[in-house]
Amino acid sequence: MLSEIVAQYTSEPTGYGAELTPGNFLARDAAKQFDSLSFDLPNAENPIDFLNTYTDVKSDNDNLIKLAHGTTTLAFKYAGGVVVAVDSRATQGSVIASQSVKKVIEINPYLLGTMAGGAADCFFWERELGRRCRLYELRNKERISVAAASKLLANMVYSYKGMGLSMGTMVSGWDKTGPNLFYVDNDGTRLKGNLFSVGSGATFAYGVLDTGYDHEMNKADAIDLGKRSIYHATHRDAYSGGYVRIYHINKEGWEFISLTDVDELHWQYADESRNRGA
Amino acid sequence: MSIMEYNGAAVVAMVGKNCVAIASDTRLGQQAMTIDTNFQKVFPVTDKTMIGMAGLATDVLTLRDRFRYKVNMYKLKEERTIEPQTFAHMVSAALYEKRFGPYFIEPVIAGMDKRNQPFICSMDTIGCINFAKDFVVAGNAGGGLYGMCESLWEPDLEPEDLFETISQALLNAVDRNALSGWGAVVHIITPDQVITRQLKSRMLDWADPTVKDKAVRYTRL
Amino acid sequence: MHVRPSTHPTSQAKEAAFSPYEDHGGTNLAIAGPDYCLLASDTRQSNGYNINTRFAPKTFKLSNKSVLATAGCQPDCAMVTTRVKQSMLTYKHNHNKEMSTSAIAQMLSIMLYQRRFFPYYDFNILGGLDEDGKGCVYSYDAVGSYERVPCSAFGSASALIQPFLDNQVRNKNQLGKPKVTEFEPVTPLPLAEALRICKDSFTSATERDIYTGDYLQIFIITREGVEEQIHELKKD
Repeated sequence: MLSEIVAQYTSEPTGYGAELTPGNFLARDAAKQFDSLSFDLPNAENPIDFLNTYTDVKSDNDNLIKLAHGTTTLAFKYAGGVVVAVDSRATQGSVIASQSVKKVIEINPYLLGTMAGGAADCFFWERELGRRCRLYELRNKERISVAAASKLLANMVYSYKGMGLSMGTMVSGWDKTGPNLFYVDNDGTRLKGNLFSVGSGATFAYGVLDTGYDHEMNKADAIDLGKRSIYHATHRDAYSGGYVRIYHINKEGWEFISLTDVDELHWQYADESRNRGA
Repeated sequence: MSIMEYNGAAVVAMVGKNCVAIASDTRLGQQAMTIDTNFQKVFPVTDKTMIGMAGLATDVLTLRDRFRYKVNMYKLKEERTIEPQTFAHMVSAALYEKRFGPYFIEPVIAGMDKRNQPFICSMDTIGCINFAKDFVVAGNAGGGLYGMCESLWEPDLEPEDLFETISQALLNAVDRNALSGWGAVVHIITPDQVITRQLKSRMLDWADPTVKDKAVRYTRL
Repeated sequence: MHVRPSTHPTSQAKEAAFSPYEDHGGTNLAIAGPDYCLLASDTRQSNGYNINTRFAPKTFKLSNKSVLATAGCQPDCAMVTTRVKQSMLTYKHNHNKEMSTSAIAQMLSIMLYQRRFFPYYDFNILGGLDEDGKGCVYSYDAVGSYERVPCSAFGSASALIQPFLDNQVRNKNQLGKPKVTEFEPVTPLPLAEALRICKDSFTSATERDIYTGDYLQIFIITREGVEEQIHELKKD
């Protein structure tokens, strides 16, 4: 019985939906149109070249369709679990399209994904990952491991390699083996690690993160380190900014910690530095 | 990325009642990376005239010095202070001299003339002057600045109201532009004084020890 | 034998590239209020320096609770609108109820992403009332990344209008006024005030953006349904 239900919602990313004939048109559930993933391709000799001519994910040329992008995200493991910290800015060219993007995607109560690169790419594929993780749970009667989840994501985007997807993400969570952190990007790269930072402001974040990192630190210090790293990245990197959003993961799953305007942090840190000086 | 966007800038000037205002952001970047957050783009020319330049920072500094030299030479030769209108044509000529290899800046000039009439103008990179009666803008946040000015500006604003208007226009425009911001400076030029104020904007540089004193600073001439 | 290559322009091979995209300009604006949603768009459709028509509405009523504003390439906009309407109809036949605005929002996102490799040149704002009867505005990029915002401007004059909305609707940079952050679902603005700001935004945008002008079409969505207004804009 359960397997029938599961089968109903199972599909391959490269599979095609049922033919739309007048007979079955009205019988179809609207949501089912999107049940199987199939993408329309431009009818050009080289669809990929075509796409690159007309879209601009990285703001490095003035092509027609500007996609939202630009980011600093980071995640690190320490003795108490995992800290995930991200900014909230989306830019299209030099215009700030939004200061309120949610770049942490709650895949399930034990898994988080971060977004860097094309907003829609991350959003879509991590949502799809969430669906597949849920199916895994239903089939296997246990939660998916972080390693498996990140591999699902890596395999999905790998099948579209070279087609212009833009996604740099960190999949983190807590499973049987404890805290786990993986980096996955649109090339299909999948790396296990203790500490990652992704996005245009990543180098700045790494500077602060590497300086302040200590595996044995307590939770408050770990959260503060994440916050400071993102703040300093937003200060130096024009394409990062807005708010610092922090999540913490331990064996109970993830927990949302805070959402702070970087301008507030700016003046808070200014006071600290003045007080230290005095 | 265009060379005009390499360092990032936003400059705006407005006419008020017996006063003019000129303001700019203070960011200096190398493309996405912010290098300096206290980089001045508006410079005094005379007691009642100022020039702001948006564009490539190296040209901003070069031209600041060139214009200072030219204005000093004018004063020595003519034995009088240059008028903002005259200065505008001087700038225009200096830019057109490099018609086929231009300086990458767009200047904005604001001042009070000898009859204490407000004067503002802006130019393109090769010196085509735009004499506006209301406001002029230059730099990367241009679209946002035009939108803000067009909506907020009204004729005959008193100095304090003009200050508020130009500040709101600049701050809200740069907050939607990734390449400008990180502090702002506003100059209000009246017949007998220039009021300079540094605005507390998003991420103004706190590491600079002088910033706290600059928060509200009046310069009397 | 040495042959000098001809430099005459007509002797050079030329490639005429076909582009499936055209920018037809135009601007949309949306404000979500406590019990209303306001969507506005100009009706000019242009192509480069030419005006195709002065009255080409690009904002469409989807149901009594939702309105879709589109801007970009007109055929793509029309296609998206048609497909959304079709799916809403199918949904209605299957479930015997109107699709909620939040459901349309998610569906539109997936619809746009299905064209990830051949995007619609179309920037959408979906406005309406949510399940609680509050106003809601969803803004999209071309390939389906979307978020719920208190107010939004999209299209050719969005750079001109968006900072003004930040300032006047969300009270940004105004000391002593209550802030409306980006995360707030609605603005506390009364409808009359939202209408004033909306009209001001378009009069200003029409002054400086050549692709915006002619007529202003305003949709006001309340519990009573959708009201449509037409106002004049400058036609130069």
